[in-house]
Amino acid sequence: MDSLPEPPSTVGLYVHIPWCVRKCPYCDFNSHEHHGPLVETEYVACLLRDLDAELERTSATIETVYFGGGTPSLFRPSAFGELLEHPSLQHVREVTMEANPGALECKSFTDYREAGINRVSVGVQSLDPDSLVKLGRIHSPNEARNAVEEALKAGFNSVNVDMMFGLPDQTIDMAMTDLDELIQLGTEHISWYQLTIEPNTVFGKRPPKVASDDDRADMSDAGLERLAASGFRQYEVSAFAHDSGEFACLHNVNYWRFGDYLGIGAGAHGKVTLENGTIVRTQKTRRPEDYMRDQKTRTREINREELPVEFMMNVLRMNEGVENAHFGCRTGLSLDGLEPTLSQSREQDLINAHRLSLTEFGRNHLNSVVERFL
Amino acid sequence: MGSSITHIRNFSIIAHIDHGKSTLADRLIQKCGGLQEREMAEQVLDSMDLERERGITIKSQSVRLSYEAANGETYQLNLIDTPGHVDFSYEVSRSLTACDGALLVVDAAQGVEAQSVATCYSAIDLGVEVLPVLNKMDLPMAEPERVATEVEEIIGLSTDDVVRISAKTGDGIDELLEQLVERIPAPQLSDVEGAQALIVDSWFDNYLGVVSLVRVFAGELRKGDRIVAYSVGQTHTIDEVGVFTPRREKVDVLQSGEVGYVVAGIKEIHGAPVGDTLVFANSETPALPGFAKAKPQIFAGLYPSNSDDFEAMRIALEKLCLNDAALHFEVETSDALGFGFRCGFLGMLHMEIVQERLEREYDLDLITSAPSVVYEVVDRDGETLRIDNPSQLDDSGRIVEIREPIAEVNILVPPDYLGNVIELCIGRRGVQRSMLFTGGQVSLRFDIPMSEVVLDFFDKLKSVSRGYASLDYSFDRFETAPLVKVDILINGTKIDSLAMIVHRERANARGREMASSMKALIPRQMFDVAIQAAIGRQVIARTTVKAYRKNVTAKCYGGDVTRKKKLLEKQKEGKKRMKQVGKVDIPQEAFLAALSVDR
Repeated sequence: MDSLPEPPSTVGLYVHIPWCVRKCPYCDFNSHEHHGPLVETEYVACLLRDLDAELERTSATIETVYFGGGTPSLFRPSAFGELLEHPSLQHVREVTMEANPGALECKSFTDYREAGINRVSVGVQSLDPDSLVKLGRIHSPNEARNAVEEALKAGFNSVNVDMMFGLPDQTIDMAMTDLDELIQLGTEHISWYQLTIEPNTVFGKRPPKVASDDDRADMSDAGLERLAASGFRQYEVSAFAHDSGEFACLHNVNYWRFGDYLGIGAGAHGKVTLENGTIVRTQKTRRPEDYMRDQKTRTREINREELPVEFMMNVLRMNEGVENAHFGCRTGLSLDGLEPTLSQSREQDLINAHRLSLTEFGRNHLNSVVERFL
Repeated sequence: MGSSITHIRNFSIIAHIDHGKSTLADRLIQKCGGLQEREMAEQVLDSMDLERERGITIKSQSVRLSYEAANGETYQLNLIDTPGHVDFSYEVSRSLTACDGALLVVDAAQGVEAQSVATCYSAIDLGVEVLPVLNKMDLPMAEPERVATEVEEIIGLSTDDVVRISAKTGDGIDELLEQLVERIPAPQLSDVEGAQALIVDSWFDNYLGVVSLVRVFAGELRKGDRIVAYSVGQTHTIDEVGVFTPRREKVDVLQSGEVGYVVAGIKEIHGAPVGDTLVFANSETPALPGFAKAKPQIFAGLYPSNSDDFEAMRIALEKLCLNDAALHFEVETSDALGFGFRCGFLGMLHMEIVQERLEREYDLDLITSAPSVVYEVVDRDGETLRIDNPSQLDDSGRIVEIREPIAEVNILVPPDYLGNVIELCIGRRGVQRSMLFTGGQVSLRFDIPMSEVVLDFFDKLKSVSRGYASLDYSFDRFETAPLVKVDILINGTKIDSLAMIVHRERANARGREMASSMKALIPRQMFDVAIQAAIGRQVIARTTVKAYRKNVTAKCYGGDVTRKKKLLEKQKEGKKRMKQVGKVDIPQEAFLAALSVDR
């Protein structure tokens, strides 16, 4: 029987820092090139006000914080320190900050760690000089290597590196060399994902020449093999954690388990289960100037018809998926409502028998499977 | 504004597309004060949007004009417009039935075209007086002498008094009007009791119900008269009679000899069939001869892509049929496409127009199967059956003979392109019957299987002759031929709506072409899609659409969900426009793949 979902006891907090040194041609996030001095202090004050307002929606404990961007590492460590002193953030287990190699001059990772950051994600993207230029990145391979080395030395709980494949003019061999070099950097976590040409980006308007669908599928297969052979366990489509410890990103896993999260900062998104059982999505004003005048929030209820597909879009990304009962916990809906789609997908060997997780075949056709729940 | 019957002239304009019929009609309307200058939208008579866009006339329309002749008398001229495409020759002869004369408009730079020849013959058979008119005299390439010779030699009309005009500049229009009044006879008085009005056209108007365009042959029609459509037998009271000027204008009476419209509260769309006669209720007045029903030449399955639209589609087809006597339809079920309609058309253009009207005017989304001609088959018991859907052809060995329709094809072409045209005709299994050199053109007659003519022959003919060749064709006879059914199978399932009947010698090539064109049209899916062409159990071609290797959104974090979901919705929307056959999604265009195969 359908009922109403209980608000979860823990939530994540996403904090958006919307500025970049330069906008990359493939990026469709809410990022803005900045010129002149950053208004750090004012922005942090806005974030704190925003957080206070968001906390009205929930009585759950914030367990993870993720500073994303844009380029959060443009902000000084002290800015994060100030924010992390907020009373609601005294029980957090994981605090991730995204850092870009070209935007770290004069700042040390040790200072960020001392300010309370315990996980860093470095946007390497590629270690091939030509590819970096084609991606419009401002850093060189060596700057990337140095940044990662520094991050590893600083003593974070875990360091992630982002890399893309299927880059302009990239062959399978090039992609594998790129990945091998990345693995050798020795981080605990790797996000390795295919370049997606998004509309409303420079690449969207003038698409670069990339390998064929089949060649990129070959790259992906070869890369998955390399990563596995090097001790990296895939736990999500593009996320790999080293099996020498528990290195999966808690904050992201919470998204993928269709958990709740608060979103603060310009253009940030959140998803919260209210006390009355309705689930809402929140979004902040996108332009930084507007956001700093008024931290306006738009909220929209996710209605019951939308819940199954939104749930599946997330949980099926994870290799282990979720237990069947989790669907009811998060959505309040009965799994029976997904019939006959669910049984059909199981018969077609797309979804595993006793869990909401994909088979290997299903993992290659994630979108087609999710689409069925629309 | 009733006129004495001696001062009425009912006429049509016979002309090939591009020969300037609409421009001439506009010019006549302008000259005879039908519209104010500012109301003259170009080509007023082509009223449907589609006609305007394609620059051709599909439905007949009429307009009443008032002309003051040089002799000081005022004449009522009723111009009944006729379609100008090879598919619609039937509608032309229908319009001619309501006329006493016709202007044969020939482009003085291009010469006589095959279809005008055929139409002229029908006009002459109907006793209609034909006045040849050479148009486009303003063009420097105009060759009036050569073209006049063609008119004499090919059609057999005297060109001693041929009128030379330019509808574009207005030159010669006055003389044309004078000749028209002088040479086209007035309608004949009838001594029949009561009233007789031939329904030339009927259409459905959302406010008025059924409106019928009629030519009164005897008596008079007025508001309040109680009438019946002869073959229907139901009594109606006339609400309104009137004429088009070309605006709709009420009049008190439609007199004998006049052309106008009748509205009689007929709601039901079969209540006023085209070709029927309106007579007074409870009278003994006989019907007029009317005209034979047009026979559809090609048949295709039309299916709503959303099965919920089936009823809406039936209603839409019924409404279209009211204005389009040549359109036939009946319910058909396909394993692949579900419930739909088998529709009969005069030709490809007719089919395209019906399709477009259903989609545009009735907001339906359609899947159309490749059209087929009608075959006659004889089974072992000696019984003859007609088959208009190739999938119905029994290939279990019960059929002992298949006969295909043969068209008599008349082509006029300048000698420079004669070689190309003959080659095209022979390539289409044509047999030459005659060839005549005349004026600047060659008149060719071929017998060609209808299936080779109806689909793209006209386009190909135009392209091999740089647009100079003209075509007219009509069904002639059925003839036995070595024909086989080629089935298309997708993942082992026969797709009924893709079956085709093909000459045995060409079956293998056609099967291969179909398979490869299907391969290009079917998108990759989760599974391999095997496409086969087969004759009976024998596979003659096979190909595979390889499965998608990966279809995975690379990144999805908290903020992306809404946008990523929209992308999926868009993908799904795209699939909605496809038909699921088994597990395979087949795009709508694939069902028309047979047409894109280059013959």
